[in-house]
Amino acid sequence: MAIKVKIMINAIIEHQSKGNPAIAKLTKTKLILKGINPDKITDTSIEDQAIISKLEALGQELGVIF
Amino acid sequence: MNNIQTFYSQKNDINEAVFELKNHLSKFDTKVLLFFASSCYEPHALSKAMKDSFSESEVFGCTTAGEITTGKMLKNSIVVMAFNKDAIDDISIGVVENVNDSENVREVFKSFESHYHQTMRNLDIEKYVGLILIDGLALAEEDIMDKIGDLTNVTFIGGSAGDDLKFTATYVFANGKTYNNAAILALMKPKKAFHVVKTQSFCSSNETLIANKVIPEERAVVEFNGKPAAQAYTEALGAKTDNANNYFMTNPLGLMVGEEPYVRSPRIVEDNKMKFYCNVIEGMELNVLKSTDMIQDTREALANKIKEVGPISGLINFHCILRTLELEQKNLTSEYGLVFKNVPTIGFSTYGEEYIGHVNQTSTILLFK
Repeated sequence: MAIKVKIMINAIIEHQSKGNPAIAKLTKTKLILKGINPDKITDTSIEDQAIISKLEALGQELGVIF
Repeated sequence: MNNIQTFYSQKNDINEAVFELKNHLSKFDTKVLLFFASSCYEPHALSKAMKDSFSESEVFGCTTAGEITTGKMLKNSIVVMAFNKDAIDDISIGVVENVNDSENVREVFKSFESHYHQTMRNLDIEKYVGLILIDGLALAEEDIMDKIGDLTNVTFIGGSAGDDLKFTATYVFANGKTYNNAAILALMKPKKAFHVVKTQSFCSSNETLIANKVIPEERAVVEFNGKPAAQAYTEALGAKTDNANNYFMTNPLGLMVGEEPYVRSPRIVEDNKMKFYCNVIEGMELNVLKSTDMIQDTREALANKIKEVGPISGLINFHCILRTLELEQKNLTSEYGLVFKNVPTIGFSTYGEEYIGHVNQTSTILLFK
């Protein structure tokens, strides 16, 4: 089962890109620059509360409903 | 006539320099004037003189650590790029004052939304592009770029203002006014397509460093890989810790996005801490980069983009001061300038480059069709 962080990242990328691959890549780059690398977080990664808090704040800014 | 014109002046006197620029552009219907100026000019007087002379135009710019114009790298000069109405359909310029509070971006974005009657989130990213010129000494670039990125998908590209390596004060200019601790944001709707080139002359290595302990407000890393930062860095290079700063120019660190590094350049070692020219976030995995040929890489990056998109009518090059220093050490500034001899160009040696985030030892380049 996917961990919460992975689900949140995917939700943010989908919300921003609406299927546009260029914006999906841009959103992924922005996340990496924030210190959240989607490629380093797998379904078996340990949940990190600090990253969850960052993603919750970002989601609120972007209007993403998790 | 090209819809984008460039020119420069090396006159020492502000009035003579501005007169020379105005005279050169007297037959050109300048809608927007972008200028980059050495810190040798008194900033308030210069900003006022530029607006007074181009009173019908939108005028903005910043101070530099060296200037770039078509085919040349300069010092102690003013370089300008003039756009007519067939180059820029529309522009709105805003000033983010007190850049240490990134929430201040919201006010400027509200003014853009009023101007364009569209929300920043819904602007067409292929029709609009933003320029950012930001105080190069406020250490605010990361937060400002982060906030911009949260509020819009529009590309904002630019550079951190310089002061010819004096490190005392940098300034940004908008329509006759002069600011520090501020950022100019210019949201433009070019008449034709635009493109971005981000180029840095480094390749990745097999060595990675994970920042375990950082001090964000100092842009400092205390520990990499569970060891004192400078020790871990030099071990990765097979060098002695005492010699760490000998490797900064050729072996900065890269935050890798796929194969592309977002460069973080070390500035100094203090008590085994490494301080950088941009922030490293705790937990970040960075690659120890190896330098390559800047002239060749830049030439190829530009040629590849022109091959992809066709001829371009102008470009703005935000070029890291560390790259300029490397070119000066190798006596290659003339050769670098010639990379841009066939395209109307302006640019400057920056204290940091902006594109998606804040980067170092990079050229972020905006090209206009």
